[in-house]
Amino acid sequence: MLRKTALNAIHREMGGELTDFGGWEMPLWYPTGSVREHLAVIETSGVFDIGHMDLLRIKGKDAFNLLQLCLTRNISTLKAGSCGYSMILNERGHVVDDSIVYNLGGDGYILIVNAAMGPVVRKHLEQQGAFPDVCVVDESGRFSKIDLQGPAAPNIIRKILEKGRGTIDELRYFQFRGDYANPNSEIAFPGNIPVLLSRTGYTGEVGFEIVMPCDRALAAWNLIRDAGGSDVTPCGLAARDSLRTGAMLPLSHQDIGAWPFVNTPWSFALPRDREGRFTKDFIGSGIYRDPPSIYTCAFCGFDPRKVETREALVLLNGASIGSVTTCAIDMAIGRAEGKIYSVTSPDKPSSFRARGLVCGFIRVDRPLKPGQRVVLKDSRRSIEAEIVSDIRPNRTARVKI
Amino acid sequence: MKSLEELDIRSDLVYTKTHEWAQKTGNTVRVGVDDYAQNALGDIVYVELPAAGAAVNAGAAFGSLESTKAVSDLNSPVTGKVTAVNETLVDSPEKVNTSPYEEGWIIEVEPAEPGELDGLMKNDAYRAFLKTLAPVE
Repeated sequence: MLRKTALNAIHREMGGELTDFGGWEMPLWYPTGSVREHLAVIETSGVFDIGHMDLLRIKGKDAFNLLQLCLTRNISTLKAGSCGYSMILNERGHVVDDSIVYNLGGDGYILIVNAAMGPVVRKHLEQQGAFPDVCVVDESGRFSKIDLQGPAAPNIIRKILEKGRGTIDELRYFQFRGDYANPNSEIAFPGNIPVLLSRTGYTGEVGFEIVMPCDRALAAWNLIRDAGGSDVTPCGLAARDSLRTGAMLPLSHQDIGAWPFVNTPWSFALPRDREGRFTKDFIGSGIYRDPPSIYTCAFCGFDPRKVETREALVLLNGASIGSVTTCAIDMAIGRAEGKIYSVTSPDKPSSFRARGLVCGFIRVDRPLKPGQRVVLKDSRRSIEAEIVSDIRPNRTARVKI
Repeated sequence: MKSLEELDIRSDLVYTKTHEWAQKTGNTVRVGVDDYAQNALGDIVYVELPAAGAAVNAGAAFGSLESTKAVSDLNSPVTGKVTAVNETLVDSPEKVNTSPYEEGWIIEVEPAEPGELDGLMKNDAYRAFLKTLAPVE
């Protein structure tokens, strides 16, 4: 029996193509189609039901110490009202899950983790027994989450907010305001819906993740749809996956998981100073003393043709050097004159037309440099791919709003 | 996903179990994928086409459809030689979704033997076959 989010009836009503995603019945796309949904987030905005994620609240005088030990991110620089992306590693340096940690102030933190990972991460935290004054509460099921992503998102949120409207203008990338569990939240949607509004997302585009009480999710969804009008397109998980791939973001348990978190494009989640030294000790840090030869690289191909990740090999000069962890199509990009452009690139050639490019991540046994070519081979086909340091250009996540 | 009743299954075409349609016009057979296939695959973003003149075999793959979700083989309903390829799909693969029976046709084949289409399903038989597949709601 699949679990259903608070917005399940909406997905059905809208004719969403429903699928089993981590035990949840979620929309892959709506009749709009995943291509137009992907492009909507880049050109206007898209709204996603992300009610399948889990949320832990960590409270008490030892909350900081516990998280400082368990997260790869150094949270001593994370001010109240700021959030950060972090890995949670086990002793072997394998990824338990990735998360966003929110500093609520007053010894309170929130960790948003992936679907079904609340109990796993809670157990992992509680196994670190040295901290008497800390309480980890799994609030999964009490909240719902809606992501509004794309350049039209800031104005849509401004239109909706009756409380805290001015704070939007000040909100920088990876800052948040409000708390959905506080009836007097600093941020509230009309109808007195307390929300946690964070300027984050999983698409690489400017936007917000909005957490609200579960029973208010439908009202919040309708407020966003009404305020956004034709500038907001409901989007399913297929667009979310292709957008995050083009934005160089990993999918937990696919691009990162039960193997050492070393030599990845996501090393910014590690607490290194400018000289490359760790600024704190944390669970799993031992792996970096003698890291194994595992390298994760981003690739981009030359047309939209994909390979099957479950079976595809990465070939270098005919020899297999690894496997493909994500293979998706970013429909907003294409190649022209030897360079990758997006539909929003201001410098794109006048003849440019985005036909989409296959892109994703590979895990290999040796370092590869941007510009190097590899072949991705499954039982159907072989495709050429270029190792890249970035995929979709001109992303808007960090723009001033 | 469209329900079985909502699917456009036409009476002037014949169908394969792998969801291609075929229509005889003069000496050639025009081939495409049906409404069921385009609906199940989602947005088509790339069509791998054979070259004109290529030989195709009944039941064997002659190309593929790339959707955002998956890759799917295109199987020929007949054995013969490709006489025409719908080149507009190179720039506009979405025509397979928006117009699977008209603008989204894929190839035309000159069959090696006349009467080869006789073994394919007519629309009623094809609808009955679709009912036996995993239920669409």
